[in-house]
Amino acid sequence: MRSKIEKLYTGIIFIFMYAPIVTLMVLSFNSSKSRAKWGGFTLKWYINLIHDSSVLNAMANTLVIALISTVIATVIGTITCVGLMGVNRRSRAVIMGITNIPMINADIVTGISLMLLFKVLHFETGFVSVLIAHITFNIPYVMLAVLPAMKTIDPNVYEAALDLGAKPFHAFRKAVLPNLTSSVLAGALMAFTMSIDDFIITYFTKGSGFDTLSTKIYNEVKRGIRPEIYAISTIIFAVVIVLLMMSERMRNRHASVRKDAPLYKVEKRISRRRFILMLVPAFAIIILGMYFGGVFKRKSNQLFVYNAGEYIDPEIIEMFSEETGIEVIYDEFETLEIMYAKIYQDDAAYDVLCPSDYMIAKLIDNDMIQELDLDKIPNRKNIGQQYMEASKAFDPGNKYAIPYCWGTVGILYNTTMVDEPPTSWDVLWDEKGAGEILMQDSIRDAFMVALIRNGFDPNTTDPEELAIAADDLIAQKPLVQAYVIDQAKDKMIGGEAAYAVTYSGDVMEAMAGNEDLDYVVPEEGSNVWLDCWVVTKKARNPEAAMKWIDFMCRPDIALKNFEFIMYSTPNTAAWEMIEDEELKNSEVAFPGDDVLKRCTSYTYLGEEGDQLYNDMWKKVKTGE
Amino acid sequence: MPINRKTSRLLNSPYVAWAVIFIIVPLFMVFYYGFTDDSGSFTFDNVAAIASPEHMHSLLLAVALSVVSTVICFILAYPLGMILARNKASNRSMIITLFILPMWMNFLLRTLAWMTLLENKGVINGVLDFLHLPGINIINTPAAIVIGMVYNFLPFMILPIYNSLSSIDDSVIFAARDLGADSKQTFFKVTLPLTVPGIISGVTMVFIPALTTFAISTMLGGSKILLIGNVIEQEFTLSYDWNLGSGLSIVLMVFIIINIVVSSISDKKGEES
Repeated sequence: MRSKIEKLYTGIIFIFMYAPIVTLMVLSFNSSKSRAKWGGFTLKWYINLIHDSSVLNAMANTLVIALISTVIATVIGTITCVGLMGVNRRSRAVIMGITNIPMINADIVTGISLMLLFKVLHFETGFVSVLIAHITFNIPYVMLAVLPAMKTIDPNVYEAALDLGAKPFHAFRKAVLPNLTSSVLAGALMAFTMSIDDFIITYFTKGSGFDTLSTKIYNEVKRGIRPEIYAISTIIFAVVIVLLMMSERMRNRHASVRKDAPLYKVEKRISRRRFILMLVPAFAIIILGMYFGGVFKRKSNQLFVYNAGEYIDPEIIEMFSEETGIEVIYDEFETLEIMYAKIYQDDAAYDVLCPSDYMIAKLIDNDMIQELDLDKIPNRKNIGQQYMEASKAFDPGNKYAIPYCWGTVGILYNTTMVDEPPTSWDVLWDEKGAGEILMQDSIRDAFMVALIRNGFDPNTTDPEELAIAADDLIAQKPLVQAYVIDQAKDKMIGGEAAYAVTYSGDVMEAMAGNEDLDYVVPEEGSNVWLDCWVVTKKARNPEAAMKWIDFMCRPDIALKNFEFIMYSTPNTAAWEMIEDEELKNSEVAFPGDDVLKRCTSYTYLGEEGDQLYNDMWKKVKTGE
Repeated sequence: MPINRKTSRLLNSPYVAWAVIFIIVPLFMVFYYGFTDDSGSFTFDNVAAIASPEHMHSLLLAVALSVVSTVICFILAYPLGMILARNKASNRSMIITLFILPMWMNFLLRTLAWMTLLENKGVINGVLDFLHLPGINIINTPAAIVIGMVYNFLPFMILPIYNSLSSIDDSVIFAARDLGADSKQTFFKVTLPLTVPGIISGVTMVFIPALTTFAISTMLGGSKILLIGNVIEQEFTLSYDWNLGSGLSIVLMVFIIINIVVSSISDKKGEES
């Protein structure tokens, strides 16, 4: 009876641990993108994965960082443990106390502290900074494994070796080290595991253009769940299982050989063979990883581009590289505020950015972007005159910015989940939509909705008006399913919610993915925005940056890009080439004056205004 | 092992240098930024900012969720540890490995798995719907975050508890029985006190990462629920306010230090008894 209950209990926890993993593995073979339905068996997510170089890069980086940091941490950690034997008690306590800090301290604090160090020293964050961080948190794991074994070693053996004429190092290697091997390996394994699994510390120390698998997955997940990620999970789990079985077999073989051979011989042969067995793949991985991961970035002919998520046709990046020979390092941000913070903290991180109107004004105001070399951007003539006029609102002389895409903000809704088509923002405060509403997780857009609903200007800096809007957003919070940015599209296609505040560009693709969806720009008014390419002041490759912008203005490129991302293009030459009449005259992508008349652009509100919005937003997000 | 002072200093110096540059100095910088303002003059404001309603709320919520998660982990792990420790079969190490194995899956993938399961149109609801049962609606609630924490950190609780349970000498248990203790008394007077160090290390290994996480709350809380980890993260990635972010980190460190002090006191008590 008792053993039955025990088995049942163990079984339940076992299922709890493995059911989620099995789910991921099953879904990786599901041809339907929906998580709840089985659409048939497929391998296409794996095939996509093989073609996704950024994921392969991230995998390579993860392995290279883990291997190198493990080796260095193991060497330093072991040497230090030996050294600790010769110091007095107090210094040993001090050293061990310091060693404990990274283990006990929260990862977020360790990550932040290292980030501050790198930033203050103007140390370029990337591969090396992440490696340093990983070595730092790995050494303690090695020391913790090795030190107890060190203490059990009989000093007489070492002394005997010395008495027999061995030199100290030789004596150490022959008489001491063999007894440490298993603990050193255990420490190294622990360090390797910790390095592979780390997300938080890498997140804070990684800099631009460098991702490990963890940070890559985090970015991907924030954009909606792609089945390719399930495929990664399955691969990782399969590798872990294989490694486990290999180590188990090795242990068994080790045990069986030992019986019939003199101990020391076996020990030697096995350990050497094992050593080579481990070294060969390790070196192979490091070399391959460096090759694929492009570890030594920042070559001369590179361009660092920072754009919003899912905001370009990836083929265009490849075409640009092929034509110009410039390698593009392409990173994505979630919101303009995050982009600004990144550039503010590391002004040379990127060459080209793609911010919206109000953010461009802020960048100009803070002297963070440079005037464009317009002679090098002849294709700018393809941009419609009205858009160049519109951009004068934030860039008076048309000197800093070239328009890329524009659009409105409105409500994307699922016609099968609502009683009647919404016309007003009020629907987002209606109890009937409880749990079915996706709000924008970006400060200005969220406040715009609440401000306009209360009859205020979306560019207000009046604390009282903002307080009213903030209270309104807090009152709405129980009805909100989630605050999202790029996930909105994915969730709406999947039927997860009835309403989402979205950008018109996402609407086009969402409607293509789910025909029940429709879009409205509420009649109280909304926001119209214009995103432009700009070049940072400290850009390392302004030459390439101008080429990039010119390339993006080419009609064929702008058209190809429009057909992929479906965000309204200000490129008149490209617009004229759109063959699909329905698309060309789409009310969503190219709204008429009646819609535009009720839309306002955001303006830059100054440091204090921004601070006010930030504080209020924090209140909304933490309030109840 | 006798090593002379000179050699040992030589052997220790690389690590000491490393630790000073990459552990001590960075921590000092957190304190520097935490106790200064924009212009670099001394202030308590950044640390005191924890008392503001927004920060306090996120801190208290983080404490509440991580305490609940830690307790659940403990309740799940202890019986499991006992069952596993009693199992003397030869495949014991294999079974233990099975419970630790999910740790080798990437932490974010483990969390992603729960997103997939708990979503409104997710796997669990799909199955419930298929069986004509009412669906569940816990994604983007504190409950979802607790599930994510428990799932991610449970192995950290199982391992130390199992280790301390399996290192108890059977003869101690027999002695207790011989002296007339029933099984309940044996458990509370002998087994439990002997595993206190294991429990404490398990609690620390679950509580601190749970208290300071921002990824789990972002992914399973739909950005609706801000824990103190999220607030600190956003000070660096969104508001670029290093001073406030560092100040709040110092508060977090105080919590960690309290945790260590409390555990080392009860650790000593455990040893005495």
